[in-house]
Amino acid sequence: MTEVITKQEREEAFAMFYGMAASIGELADPAPEMTDEERVERAKEVFLKGIDNNVAVQLDACVHCGACAQACQFYIGTEDPKYTPIHKLDLLKRVYKRELSPMSWLNKLTTPEITADDLRAQVELVYDSCTMCGRCNMVCPSAINIGDMVALNRSAMAAAGLAPAELRYMRDGQEADGTIFGADEDLFNFRIQDIQQKLGFEIPIDKKGADVLLMTSGLDIHLFADATGGAIETLHHMGVDFTLASKTPGYEGANFGSLSGYDATKKKQTKASTALIEELGVKTVIVPECGHSYPALRFGAAEAVGRPVNFEVMTVSEYFGRAVMDGRLTLEKKSHPKPIALHDPCKVGRWGGVFDEPRAILEACGYDLHETESNREYNFCCGGGAANFLLPSADKLKRVGYRTKMGEIEAAGAEELVVSCGSCRMNFEVGKVKAGDSIPVESLAAIIAAHLPQKDTVEGDKV
Amino acid sequence: MSLLDFARGPALQWAAVVFVIGMLWRTLGLLLMLRARPLSKDRKTGLAGAGVKTMFSRFLLPKVFAKRVGFQFLLGWIWHLGFVITLLFFQVHVLFFKGLLGFGWPALPNSVVLPVAAVSLGILVILLVRRVTNPVLRYISTFNDYSSVIVTILPFATGFATFAHVPALPYETLLALHFLSVALLLVWFPFSKLFHVITVLPSRYILGVKFWRRGVEA
Repeated sequence: MTEVITKQEREEAFAMFYGMAASIGELADPAPEMTDEERVERAKEVFLKGIDNNVAVQLDACVHCGACAQACQFYIGTEDPKYTPIHKLDLLKRVYKRELSPMSWLNKLTTPEITADDLRAQVELVYDSCTMCGRCNMVCPSAINIGDMVALNRSAMAAAGLAPAELRYMRDGQEADGTIFGADEDLFNFRIQDIQQKLGFEIPIDKKGADVLLMTSGLDIHLFADATGGAIETLHHMGVDFTLASKTPGYEGANFGSLSGYDATKKKQTKASTALIEELGVKTVIVPECGHSYPALRFGAAEAVGRPVNFEVMTVSEYFGRAVMDGRLTLEKKSHPKPIALHDPCKVGRWGGVFDEPRAILEACGYDLHETESNREYNFCCGGGAANFLLPSADKLKRVGYRTKMGEIEAAGAEELVVSCGSCRMNFEVGKVKAGDSIPVESLAAIIAAHLPQKDTVEGDKV
Repeated sequence: MSLLDFARGPALQWAAVVFVIGMLWRTLGLLLMLRARPLSKDRKTGLAGAGVKTMFSRFLLPKVFAKRVGFQFLLGWIWHLGFVITLLFFQVHVLFFKGLLGFGWPALPNSVVLPVAAVSLGILVILLVRRVTNPVLRYISTFNDYSSVIVTILPFATGFATFAHVPALPYETLLALHFLSVALLLVWFPFSKLFHVITVLPSRYILGVKFWRRGVEA
């Protein structure tokens, strides 16, 4: 592996980036002014649009057994009953019962209307104390999709002008230039040129008709160049006909509309990415190590454009994991005396089905994988998913989530951790600093590149 | 008309009418609602099969949740099973259904059904107490939750009182109270969370399909 960023450079970038991320709420434009009536009306409009037969059936299947609390890291860590996942759907349920339930004619007599104060109280429940990880979905005897319904709540909060300032800032940035954290085209080009110089071969940019488009993210551009560099180096090593796109949102995988509840931004971003991908004519898109970017494009592209799309979307671990499993990519098995744990990012794992691929990679690299007690579809969130790593108001809860997760990692006897998601990685890094932990947290893409066998120079090499 | 005549006559009949109309209304209302159709390509095939699998796999608790949810899961299993056994296989109930439907089925001996019913009643009482004392359950519980447990307990309690000929009341009054408690259960059913009898399996199917589209067994 070619070192595209040193440990010291990464730590310095991390310190600077963390300082910047901690203050983005102050940089946000003021929240939109609305009357309480407008807030309620807009939130209800979102709820009513989002309640279909599936949501209704699931809401009517809840028996208030409370099992979901026992799957939620925020309840487990605080034992505060207000964090019971199903409680986070109370407003949605009330709107459903009053307006759309077949029994609404009766429910109207017993179920109060939602109010603006109810919406304000809901903000902490659907942002700070829920990462939409969906672990509660897995324990519910009625299999209620609480995670997705919290997403619907976030959309209602955003429509009511109540999304946290930090997420408004991120949304505004993405609306303005299609990227996040100000990772504009100049910065992207600078980073890619820097990586290119270190890797020693030309990185194809905007190559029409390439087989594969590799996307990155603002987080990787600022902080985790090893993840982007690792993916580029591996594609080059495999001899894949790939390209990167120089324009937003062709290089930006992150979609903060999707995380924050701003549905119009989510759709706009995905539509623009899809148009650019189709213009390039690639067959496969690899989204970066950025958990939510996978479902946002993989399951969101066709929905955004209103028709099926003719390209495949894979996440980094999925693409390279399949290559390992199919024998298209051989990795060098090395001796790793330290046991390693794998964190399955919720959006890629439980919401994406990518489980076997990262494990195949680690096995091919010779790692001694120690699975946490909750793994694969039962995996605990890192504590800061769904953009919560950016919310200072959620700091205490993030640490609670981190502790739960790290407790399992420690119990598994792992001395190293690998993740394939930038925001998980960010949350682990911050959690480590706050908890005084020292376990190394590595990018899976960087690990792959570090296990590429030596081979003769391939076409495009400068040196 | 005596209380017993009223209870096993008009009360039970009207309760049955409310039950049937209410259940049909709510079920049809749900069926007629629109559902979103995804356009993105599925990661796996065999969605319907996966949905059906989830309908049944959720009867079992994943091992990873056993420590935290095992007790309540087990209680739920036992009392639901006990309810079905008592309702359908108690000798007197089989005779009742035979009179109603014109055909019957073999009953289980009282020595089996009565302990089963007693255990079910005991668990329902424990679940009610737990709902009051457990912080999570107390926090999320509504009138619907408490009333539904109580309305389910009543037929068990009045049934035992009737079977045991509790001396506090005449037998006919006890029997009338049992019929009335069943009538109350029937009326309450479509309007309450007891309706989950209809929605629980479709709800599991929905998540099973949703997750299998993404390659995850729910």
